[in-house]
Amino acid sequence: MLNFDPVTLPESSEQLRPVIRAFIAANLPAGPRNSDFTSGYDASFSAALGEGGWIGMTVPKRYGGSERGYFDRYIVTEELLAAGMPVAAHWITDRQTAPLLMSHGTEAQRERFLPGICAGTVFFSIGMSEPNAGSDLAAIQTKAEAVAGGWRVNGTKIWTTGAHLNHFLMTLVRTAPPTSNRHAGMSQLIIDLKSDGVEVRPIVSMTGKAEFNEIVLNDVFVPAEGLVGNEGDGWQQVTSELGYERSGPERFLSTFRVFQELVHLVGPSPTPEQAAAVGRISSHLLSLRRLSLSVAGMLQAGKLPNIEAAMVKDLGTRFEKLSLEIARLAAPINDNRAAFDQALNDSLLLSPSFTLRGGTSEILRGMIARGLGLR
Amino acid sequence: MTSDHDTNNETQDKEVRQLLLATADKLFHRLSDKQTLEDTAHGEFPETLKNSLVEQGFHRLAQVDSGFVLEDAFAVLQVAGYHALPFPLAEWMLANRYVNNPDDSFATIGKLQGQSITDAPWGREASHCIAVTAEGQAIQASASQWQRTYNIAGEASDAAGIDGQTPIDTHDKLFQLLALSRCALAVGAMTRLLELVIEQVTLREQFGRPLARFQVIQHDIAAMAGEVAAASKALEGGTIQLASEREEDEIAVACARVFEATRSTSEMAHQLFGAMGFTQEHTLHHFTRRLWAWREDYGNERYWQEVLGRNICSRGSQNLWPFIATNR
Repeated sequence: MLNFDPVTLPESSEQLRPVIRAFIAANLPAGPRNSDFTSGYDASFSAALGEGGWIGMTVPKRYGGSERGYFDRYIVTEELLAAGMPVAAHWITDRQTAPLLMSHGTEAQRERFLPGICAGTVFFSIGMSEPNAGSDLAAIQTKAEAVAGGWRVNGTKIWTTGAHLNHFLMTLVRTAPPTSNRHAGMSQLIIDLKSDGVEVRPIVSMTGKAEFNEIVLNDVFVPAEGLVGNEGDGWQQVTSELGYERSGPERFLSTFRVFQELVHLVGPSPTPEQAAAVGRISSHLLSLRRLSLSVAGMLQAGKLPNIEAAMVKDLGTRFEKLSLEIARLAAPINDNRAAFDQALNDSLLLSPSFTLRGGTSEILRGMIARGLGLR
Repeated sequence: MTSDHDTNNETQDKEVRQLLLATADKLFHRLSDKQTLEDTAHGEFPETLKNSLVEQGFHRLAQVDSGFVLEDAFAVLQVAGYHALPFPLAEWMLANRYVNNPDDSFATIGKLQGQSITDAPWGREASHCIAVTAEGQAIQASASQWQRTYNIAGEASDAAGIDGQTPIDTHDKLFQLLALSRCALAVGAMTRLLELVIEQVTLREQFGRPLARFQVIQHDIAAMAGEVAAASKALEGGTIQLASEREEDEIAVACARVFEATRSTSEMAHQLFGAMGFTQEHTLHHFTRRLWAWREDYGNERYWQEVLGRNICSRGSQNLWPFIATNR
């Protein structure tokens, strides 16, 4: 059985909350806000966050980080999401690249990339999916051949968020063909997106915006020092980071602004139906936050709670979709709905991606089933 | 900073609770045998079971001077739910918190409806009876003409006209505590359902392989495990926040989330046990029928969603996020 120990955010971490709230209040963007971590790409906001010490919070000070714990980071990230701040530029870099470099990167890579990451000025995209390798990630075909001084990379990556704006691509490649173990022979390379042979083609999603891309890699040269960790460790590196990727507040707060607008819209004296809708959403949110914090506690303790994180993401992202249904059915018809409708429509258009990105519900449930001993 | 002294106390408290729960687990497993489950469902008061509870003192666990905190009592109720203990331990414990009952006789709690008391488990056999309303009224009632009915779980659930009454001061909110007791029982039962289901699909073969090998079944059970985990966390919030300023809200969260989870978990368990699980002979219904009873006893999820939602809305949308982000 899965075990989620109770976790209370320590008082020392809670002291950060008013500080980040003040920072948010001073930096509120004009116009509608969205709690989805992929909406709102604003490099100058990311730089301001970096300057405040709010990016790379768990990274040691000698690499430019603020050397704090996961609970501190949790408070900052949930406050940013709830307020609907534009965090897309640095979000994935902060969440995945920084811990990956800390756990598997070479010393030279840490020294080169982490200070910029923590400053909120260097942004990575994650190059995993390919046209023929979606949920079946081990089917990737992008190939890196050893050449003098480094690697020559050929292949195509797809659904790569932010690659048209970011600086580097953390790229999962085959450095050797699969053996009887199909997870063998993969490695991660850091590719400069300005390299010769890199072509980034934005893909417009159904939201009407181009936030993800197809990336064609044609004889791209990557210097030897671009290899993350050891050759052949790619799969293990990618899967060991799943706890960070899947358990955070961005897996259940994506629609929070809609909820906020609903509560605003129904006002202090809701009908019984409206009150029940608000109560139902809240009951899910608070339970999910407890689960998510429990996983943060495991990460803080140095564990690898991949199954637990999969459960948080599966439950959380399904709740995100459910919350939109509850909200839309509870909203009163009146002439004050503009802000609510804007938030609802923005979230609805994004909602199909909630249960796809970062591991589909089907993949997650397979992992949970394995954790329960069914596979 | 936590002092060493506090840390020691905390560790000690934890150990005491572990011991308490281990004792409860062993005892409730023994007491919830098939025969007792069936006999009680036919109106036979389980005297032996009751006496065993007295021997271990479980009926006094929620008393203010018991040496335990309410959180311990709810943890024990979770164990009771896990075993489908065929006895209203929650009522007995909570009644003993308010009435003077020195002789270990059985006490129960029902609902106050006008001049009647209803839905009192084993009211006829009880020497003391409390009646409550959702609005917070509580009386100690005396009644003699008991009518026996059975709830959907086949548990004795009695009603009577009230002959005499004394108001009692429930220094905490008894109706809410009763509702939270249903959450604890239900989380225990859902945890058990999940274990039973996993065992079933591992053993049961169809089409030449265990059901567990079918992906659709793996996914259903993964979803079920998620519901149980979310419900457990909601219960955790309700019990951790007892006696805090968030008590009422967190109990509402617990009831809203736990009772919502009873639908899909009970449905899934029955689906995966097939026709066998639909029989009187099978143990499954002792859990699922109790879940269906508990979730209605003191307000179902809709009731508590509304309570919670009204509280949240009354504080204004600017206080929504601070409310979500300050749960401990």
